[in-house]
Amino acid sequence: MLRAAGLSKTYAGPQGVPVPVLHGIELEVKSGEFVAVVGASGSGKSTLLNLLGLLEPASAGEVWLGEERVSHLGRRAQARVRGASIGYVFQSFLLLSGLTALDNVLLAARYVGRDRALAQRQALALLERMGVAHRKDHYPPQLSGGEQQRVAYCRAVLNRPPLVLADEPTGNLDDEHARVILAELRASTAERGAAVVLVTHRPEAQAGADRVLRLRDGRLV
Amino acid sequence: MKLREFLPRGYVFTVVGIAVGVAGLVSLGAMAERITRFIEGGDRFVLGQISVAGEGMGMGAGFTAGGLLSAAKIREIAAVPGVSGVQAQVMLPLNTSTSNFMTLTQELVMGMDLSVPIPNRNYRELPVASGRPLRTDDRRSAVLGAEFAASRHLRTGATVSLGGQDFAVVGILEKTFTAPDRFALVPIEDARELWLRRDPLLVQVFGAGSLRRGDLNTGAAVGWSDGEDPDAVARRIQSTVTGLNVTIPGELSRLLRQSTAFFSALLLGIGALGLLIGGLSLANTVTAAVFERIRDFGIKRALGATDMALLREVLGEGLRVSLWGGAAGVLLAWSIGTAVDARVLRDGQQLFLFSPRLLTFALVFSLALGALAAGYATLRIVRLSPAEAIRRGS
Repeated sequence: MLRAAGLSKTYAGPQGVPVPVLHGIELEVKSGEFVAVVGASGSGKSTLLNLLGLLEPASAGEVWLGEERVSHLGRRAQARVRGASIGYVFQSFLLLSGLTALDNVLLAARYVGRDRALAQRQALALLERMGVAHRKDHYPPQLSGGEQQRVAYCRAVLNRPPLVLADEPTGNLDDEHARVILAELRASTAERGAAVVLVTHRPEAQAGADRVLRLRDGRLV
Repeated sequence: MKLREFLPRGYVFTVVGIAVGVAGLVSLGAMAERITRFIEGGDRFVLGQISVAGEGMGMGAGFTAGGLLSAAKIREIAAVPGVSGVQAQVMLPLNTSTSNFMTLTQELVMGMDLSVPIPNRNYRELPVASGRPLRTDDRRSAVLGAEFAASRHLRTGATVSLGGQDFAVVGILEKTFTAPDRFALVPIEDARELWLRRDPLLVQVFGAGSLRRGDLNTGAAVGWSDGEDPDAVARRIQSTVTGLNVTIPGELSRLLRQSTAFFSALLLGIGALGLLIGGLSLANTVTAAVFERIRDFGIKRALGATDMALLREVLGEGLRVSLWGGAAGVLLAWSIGTAVDARVLRDGQQLFLFSPRLLTFALVFSLALGALAAGYATLRIVRLSPAEAIRRGS
């Protein structure tokens, strides 16, 4: 489903000094597989997720989604892939404060040209399933952290993407809310056959993963 | 569309920022419009007639400063080929304690010979906003200029004291934004009466019997026949009738423009300043508002928004916000201008003119600049990767 070959990333530091973050990552994740990525702070976990999710360009290497080498597509085509094939869950939720919970979820459907009425029915069903349907008309600042993350999860899976990338999705949540999110991520692999790559520090998340990858100094070990 | 959808959430301060900039632009523009209308109005008036006065430095005032223009001279002028009509006039400063040379917009009593039509081609009749124009059989009646009446709170039916004599106000002129706004129009016989009452020297000359009432004219407005060149007719009058001061319309217009060159430069400066202040404020506010939402754009790109989709979205929001800000700015400027004018009108002045062309320009300018600023900011943002945009905005 997802394959990375020779993936590297180097940032430009102060005075243009290059700062290498990832070195030649080789990675393959199958459909329905739940992979946890762990490592110390600064080891490159979030950068790896950004490269896999086409949120920033790699310095070298390739990312394949199915049979398509998505890392080398044009900007417009990459936008299409991000909208239709990849769902993101971020540690800080990243909801738009000017939109209601429901509109935040529906944002995922806006850019892929989906029928709004159908998307709205599915969004409401997802919010219901995540226990936040009663908050659909509330704005993010009016929601608790746990509720915001559940809304963000609904947005990530609204288009039923074959790949879900989650960057410390439980980092700002208490144990109870963290369990809900992890269970849903797990369910999306089992029920939909989606591939999930999860960056986490939580031991229970690692325990529930099909595979745990360790990053150290930008290398998988 | 709901109101909330038309004004995107979180843009209130942006709208306020734009409104302040546009209000500055509109206020300065309204002052420029006021000056422009004054200059254009004067130009239009002098180009519509040939003004003639008697030779020498007379006791008259206004456009026809010069010596007395006798009835005989008026008849001679009327006989010059190309002349279509001559209207005798008496122009007197209302307040004789104010030097004629120290004020550009002094209040005048203007006596008109109503037995002949107004020869001015651009003012065949002075437009009356309320009441009626003067009639040939009127005596002790006056039609007042808009500012003249407003500064004294006079309406049709009221009585006004001119030179110590009471006149019935039978009409108020429409606002012309130029000289007639400060005129009191009266029948010429009444103006002659006022003149005699206030000028001892004239009384002595008149009492000696060498003058008749019909000779008491400070000047005359002369019209020309269709197809005639007004400057040529004016020169023909000058060469045919002796003892006259004849103003050539083309030369007077040129002189007027020269004498108002300072105002024209001021106008240009005010306009440029308005565009600069309003434009910079608006562009800066819209650009800042877009950059403030850099994180939102990063999120949207992560959700599949293309560069074009984002550009469309931001342009739409930019236009809506600019329209709100522009409209609020126009309203703000209009409110302040109206309040200030209400205050200065007591002194017979008006500082602002909110013309339709100014308001239309302000709104179009707001929209165009808002769209440009939003487009520029968006193009800067879409160069960033979604991750970088989210990082910078968080």
